[in-house]
Amino acid sequence: MPIAYPSQRVAYPYFAIALLLFVLQIVFGIWIASNYAFNLPQGLVDVFPFNFARPIHTNLLVLWLLLGFMGSTYYMIPEESGRDLFSTKLAYLQLVILVGTGVAALVGFVLRWTSGRPLLEIPFTLDILVVIGALIFLFNVGLTLIRARKWTVTQGSLLGGLVFLALLYLFDLPFYRNLTIDWYYWWWVIHLWVEGAWELVAAALTAFLLMKITGVPRATVEKWLYVELGLFLFTGIAGTGHHYYWLGAPHYWIWVGGVFSALEPLPIILMLWDAWKHVKERQIPMASPLVFLYAVGMAIYHVIGAGFWGFVHTLPPINYYTHGSQVTVSHGHVAFFGAYVLLNLTFFYYAVPRLKGFTKFNERPGRIGFWWMSLTMMGMGLAFGVAGVLQAYIERVMGFGFMTAQAQMQFWFQILVFFGLSMLAAVAYTVANILTLKPSPVAGGSGNDLKKTS
Amino acid sequence: MSPKAARAIFYLGTLISLILFLALTVDTHRQVQTLTHADQLSDQVVSGKRVWQKYNCNDCHTILGFGAYYAPDMTKVYWRRGAEGIRAMVKNPELYTTWRKMPNQHVSDKEIDDLIAFFKWTSEIDNNNWPPQDAKLRATERKVVALGVSSGAVLFQEKGCFGCHKLFGTGVTVGPELTHVGGRLDHNTIEKILDNPRSVNPKATMPQIPLSHEQRDQLADFLTGLK
Ligand code: HEC
Ligand code: HEC
Ligand code: HEM
Ligand code: HEM
Ligand SMILES: [Fe+2]
Repeated sequence: MPIAYPSQRVAYPYFAIALLLFVLQIVFGIWIASNYAFNLPQGLVDVFPFNFARPIHTNLLVLWLLLGFMGSTYYMIPEESGRDLFSTKLAYLQLVILVGTGVAALVGFVLRWTSGRPLLEIPFTLDILVVIGALIFLFNVGLTLIRARKWTVTQGSLLGGLVFLALLYLFDLPFYRNLTIDWYYWWWVIHLWVEGAWELVAAALTAFLLMKITGVPRATVEKWLYVELGLFLFTGIAGTGHHYYWLGAPHYWIWVGGVFSALEPLPIILMLWDAWKHVKERQIPMASPLVFLYAVGMAIYHVIGAGFWGFVHTLPPINYYTHGSQVTVSHGHVAFFGAYVLLNLTFFYYAVPRLKGFTKFNERPGRIGFWWMSLTMMGMGLAFGVAGVLQAYIERVMGFGFMTAQAQMQFWFQILVFFGLSMLAAVAYTVANILTLKPSPVAGGSGNDLKKTS
Repeated sequence: MSPKAARAIFYLGTLISLILFLALTVDTHRQVQTLTHADQLSDQVVSGKRVWQKYNCNDCHTILGFGAYYAPDMTKVYWRRGAEGIRAMVKNPELYTTWRKMPNQHVSDKEIDDLIAFFKWTSEIDNNNWPPQDAKLRATERKVVALGVSSGAVLFQEKGCFGCHKLFGTGVTVGPELTHVGGRLDHNTIEKILDNPRSVNPKATMPQIPLSHEQRDQLADFLTGLK
């Protein structure tokens, strides 16, 4: 069944731009990894120094994931509320503002224009444009919902997550005199995003997809959605304390952060259980095995990267040795990939064919892309992880100092560059596939299957 | 589970966590005043923080363990390197970096003064003894100094000589280990080196560390005793 509301089409340019930025993000990842892996001459590394190439890698990640979420929201809201979007013009205007700001930020980094705070490097002037773009988005979505007068828990979770996300961003705006306070609020953006607001968005988009592809009744899906949201917020809000152990904040954060964040895997595991159960008890035939593969794969990967990897180093006695090491980077990659990269790709594989007017397509390239990216990310997580454990042991336990440890870790960064190249190929392959999907009479089939059945 | 129970879990869970978190935030603001010695948070320290942000140092270095992981953590760099060690590194990194390079960012002298004030203030933040290697280093330095107890030994730690020299296996090896320096150099030469390293060895890269005549004398006394 193709789309029911013409305004859903605004989602497509969001998806297409997001996917192109994804490829660019990987290119910069490989450059900064090469800085680690090889002793490049000063003249070469100074062309694009690490501290301005890294923000390009991370800001592109955040930008494309957010564009993906926004596109997905524009796709989902009309179907959920039974009404076209309030304004497609505003949706396009918002896209232009946000992408324009993104491009300005990237050019700015090349010219060394920065606010100087990791992951939130974009300067104040551009922050204002981001806020304007976000306000247009919330206004557009909000007015659509108000006009439709139909409220569902799924919509509520989505809108709640998006408003929460936008409000938290405001804590990025001031200049903080005290370094400890600065990082205290930095985590209100970073942690409360990925372990709070974004999880609400993820839970809502997943619930929507599950209802669509499994036909499990809304009442059942939304009941579990409530429980998941409750557990996410219960563990995630006070769980922010797992970043306050070594910050110069009061000692009790070691207890509050340790206990609450140790519970954070619970809602993630519940989400896997929930998706698994709905998939097994589906009421309608499996229209697209690929979307099921992605949906279940995403739930499992979410548990591995965020739930398992996060749990291991959130315990204060371990975090004392791994804090701010490559162990953190390993977790950051596997968690972001498992939770939010796969979520976006799942949604794209569901929505893009429908936006183009069909539901059945050759799914073989999609499957290859899924396994190729997923296994490569395991390899990257392993390379970062081994480097991180070496670092924790040599630098911190033995006390040999930073550079001594780095020398022992270099081999693993060379492995990382290898996986990085594999990731670039896998991502380019998947992106090309999504952007060129064509209808085919049988879903899931390869060319061979087509011949057999016809 | 009934839908009603599910909703109750949502409202209760969210509310409890939120109230706890906001209450602790208020208390944290109160306690951070003492934990970070906010009374010593001078305008110069704040200017130093602005310099830190202006050059985006934090996307190579971590501080308090946050940021990028490409270069050493800066939380306790003042303990490791001292004012002059930091100045030397930021002004002429090409002389001191090893195989992974820190670029020369042409930071002005005033900006470096501000940075040093910022790092000094940061090193005093009471953050549960993190990072472990610096906490350990400081503890052993104190022990090594206690063996000497002379005022020269105390200066050796306070002026950041450990940031480039080892004593009895503790410290960093940018310069030579000084455990037996008294066997190599006499009092006068050491004083000269401290006054101006290039006066003895024209190619010396050791920075000129501001010391009074008396301090130079005390340090030389301490070092000539090490044979
Ligand atoms: C491109 C990455 C990069 C940037 C940007 C950078 N540094 Fe460094 N820095 C390094 C590396 C790498 C080292 C370690 C070099 C070595 O020991 O061989 C280092 C070492 C140092 C040290 C000595 C630390 C120690 O304990 O040995 C200080 C102090 C320092 N940097 C300060 C700064 C300041 C201040 C800035 C910003 C103005 C800055 N750095 C920007 C990469 C960078
Ligand atoms: C930034 C690094 C650095 C700092 C800080 C530093 N030194 Fe040095 N020092 C060196 C280097 C490098 C040498 C080797 C000669 C040269 O290249 O200057 C050296 C040489 C020496 C020598 C001569 C050793 C010999 O065997 O020839 C003495 C004595 C000495 N330093 C004492 C001190 C004292 C005392 C302090 C603290 C007040 C100190 N240094 C701080 C880098 C440093
Ligand atoms: C989808 C969810 C998640 C994502 C995308 C994510 C991502 C990240 C990233 C990028 C960082 C590094 C931030 C930085 O310092 O630059 C980080 C740090 C951390 N995360 Fe997660 N995370 C997620 C969930 C979790 C969960 C559920 C836990 C705990 C159970 C957890 C525990 C931690 C801890 C303890 C750190 C700090 C590491 C340190 O001390 O250096 N994370 N996370
Ligand atoms: C889906 C793909 C990717 C995602 C989601 C991703 C995400 C991230 C995130 C969140 C960070 C910040 C980490 C932190 O602060 O803890 C980061 C940094 C980094 N990424 Fe990636 N990345 C991806 C692909 C790559 C690739 C392919 C490479 C190269 C092989 C790479 C190399 C790096 C490096 C070297 C850093 C810097 C870490 C540091 O400061 O030491 N990334 N990435
Ligand atoms: Fe967190």
